[in-house]
Amino acid sequence: MLESLSRMLRSGRVLVALCLVIFIGACAAFAPLIAPHDPAEQNLLAILLPPAWASAGDPVFPLGTDSLGRCVLSRLIYGARTAMTVAIVASLGAMLIGSILAHVCGYFGGIADWIIGRAVDVWMSFPPVILSLVLMVGLGTGLDKVILAIVLVDWTRFCRVLRSEVLIVRQRDYVAAARLVGFTHWQTIMREILPATLPLLITLVSLEMAIAIVVEAILSFVGMGVKPDEAAWGQMIADARQYLYQSPWNLAFPLLAIFAAVTGFNLLGDGLRRALDVRLVQIGR
Amino acid sequence: MLVTVLKLLGRRLLAAAPILLVVSILLFCVLRVLPVDPAAMSLPPSATLADIEAKRREMGLDQPLYRQYLIWLGDALHGEFGRSIHYRRDAATLVRETLPATLELAIAAMAIAAILGLCGGLLLFALRATPMEAVADLSSMLLLSIPEFVWGLILLFLFGVTLQLLPFTGRLSPGFMRPSLTGFLLLDTLLTGRLDMFFDALKHMVLPAVALGLAFSPAMMRVLRSSLLDVYHEDYIEQARLRGLSEGRILIAHALKNAALPTLTLAGVQFGILFGGTLLVEVIYSYPGLGNLMVDAVRNADLPIIQAAGLTYCVVVLLINTLVDSLYLVLNPKLRVR
Repeated sequence: MLESLSRMLRSGRVLVALCLVIFIGACAAFAPLIAPHDPAEQNLLAILLPPAWASAGDPVFPLGTDSLGRCVLSRLIYGARTAMTVAIVASLGAMLIGSILAHVCGYFGGIADWIIGRAVDVWMSFPPVILSLVLMVGLGTGLDKVILAIVLVDWTRFCRVLRSEVLIVRQRDYVAAARLVGFTHWQTIMREILPATLPLLITLVSLEMAIAIVVEAILSFVGMGVKPDEAAWGQMIADARQYLYQSPWNLAFPLLAIFAAVTGFNLLGDGLRRALDVRLVQIGR
Repeated sequence: MLVTVLKLLGRRLLAAAPILLVVSILLFCVLRVLPVDPAAMSLPPSATLADIEAKRREMGLDQPLYRQYLIWLGDALHGEFGRSIHYRRDAATLVRETLPATLELAIAAMAIAAILGLCGGLLLFALRATPMEAVADLSSMLLLSIPEFVWGLILLFLFGVTLQLLPFTGRLSPGFMRPSLTGFLLLDTLLTGRLDMFFDALKHMVLPAVALGLAFSPAMMRVLRSSLLDVYHEDYIEQARLRGLSEGRILIAHALKNAALPTLTLAGVQFGILFGGTLLVEVIYSYPGLGNLMVDAVRNADLPIIQAAGLTYCVVVLLINTLVDSLYLVLNPKLRVR
């Protein structure tokens, strides 16, 4: 595994992806140190300023200001904080629930498998956007609620994919051997099955982070995401859309931020998949 | 053949019924948690506490939750979802009026996604083992990273605001009286022979449909490419080559036929997600469909509409999945035994 990871690091696009993710992560972690202004500070004398390099720009606001005179750069940086928090916590939460259920399903089969399988069917009949909106209506707005909604919607992504992987791994001889040696079910799952499904799990988490960022932006865009006083990229987009003619820049920056973050996690997931998937490495695809 | 398909349809529809039942329970429970009082919201602000109490009893809100659900379910089975609190109109009627617009948009978007996915997949496959492969693969990854609402805003800004080539709000230019036959605007305008209106409606649909299509095509491209790669390992491809068939003919007549099946499965799943994705695009383009209705309802905590629209989304997704499964059966001869 270590060897394949070092091979992965030699690939140019994985490096680009890592740089993107680390850059956005650093912005999120050190937001109060980097941001030139308080993201909520309004300056009604300087509304809808273009970026500093435009002729009417003001160097005090490097990327201009929004309709309330708030610094766009600062809001982008604090928005990264919201996005990264959601991405990390929500995808780990969805991974935890989804993979536990998938291992229960795939390993034990029987009635548990049937019940969880039907639950996945019910979830799959909801378009994800609709389900998360309905959940947000029930839960109310806020960062923690957004995370909870994403976990409750996206655990099925992990459950479906991992279950079929567990089914395959369970048939292997070494799993039967472990049981014969006297491993308990718990030991067999943790020591024999989990290591085999782990590569897929890691890849799925990376891809889920990209999805979580998009969902958070969508929910904030329609006004059902984080609270209005928290900075979020989706909110910036919704706000900029009202002033599209006066200040197209305000729309471009958060869109670029979302694109960069999603690309970072998608490329990273793709690189992980290539590096960790034994079958792919052997075929040399 | 037809019998097999009908059997499958029947089985799938039977399986869909309990799913819908659970979905309805979920929708009902999630939304009943809300700290809003439907009785107080459906009365004028001047109503007294006694009025509200009477209304609560009339609406059945004083009864236990499961009784409330059974009453609601009974009404829902008759197509009754109650009156919208915000619009003061029948929720089921509102959904019925807006659903065709969304279906029309989703079908147009799916057609665009399928065409782009097919062409892109073939292009990606044609570029295999060439220096361009890495570039093509990377571009498809980048395309995959642009969600539908980002495309919607980019296209709106480029073609609507900057170049002013295409309209970007609503379904029709003001001044047109829309015919009301089926609710499907493109169909209605053709049926009534109003070509000018047909092209106007088409122009309004270009941006939202292309935004959705662009967002959902990269996944199909990539699956088509990898299943083509798999198929090319098969013996019958080598056979066809030995028989002296041209590469183009092998690709279209032999490989594509088999490689299309996994892509079709993916397309079915994608269509379900795309149908939900119309919501964002509708909001961005002020397109009067189910998505805008839903978002308005969510913002106003308008329970009857959220329930009716949420259930409608599920019904459509289940229908789409059933249709795709039958299509799969028609196209895959291996499944036709029995």
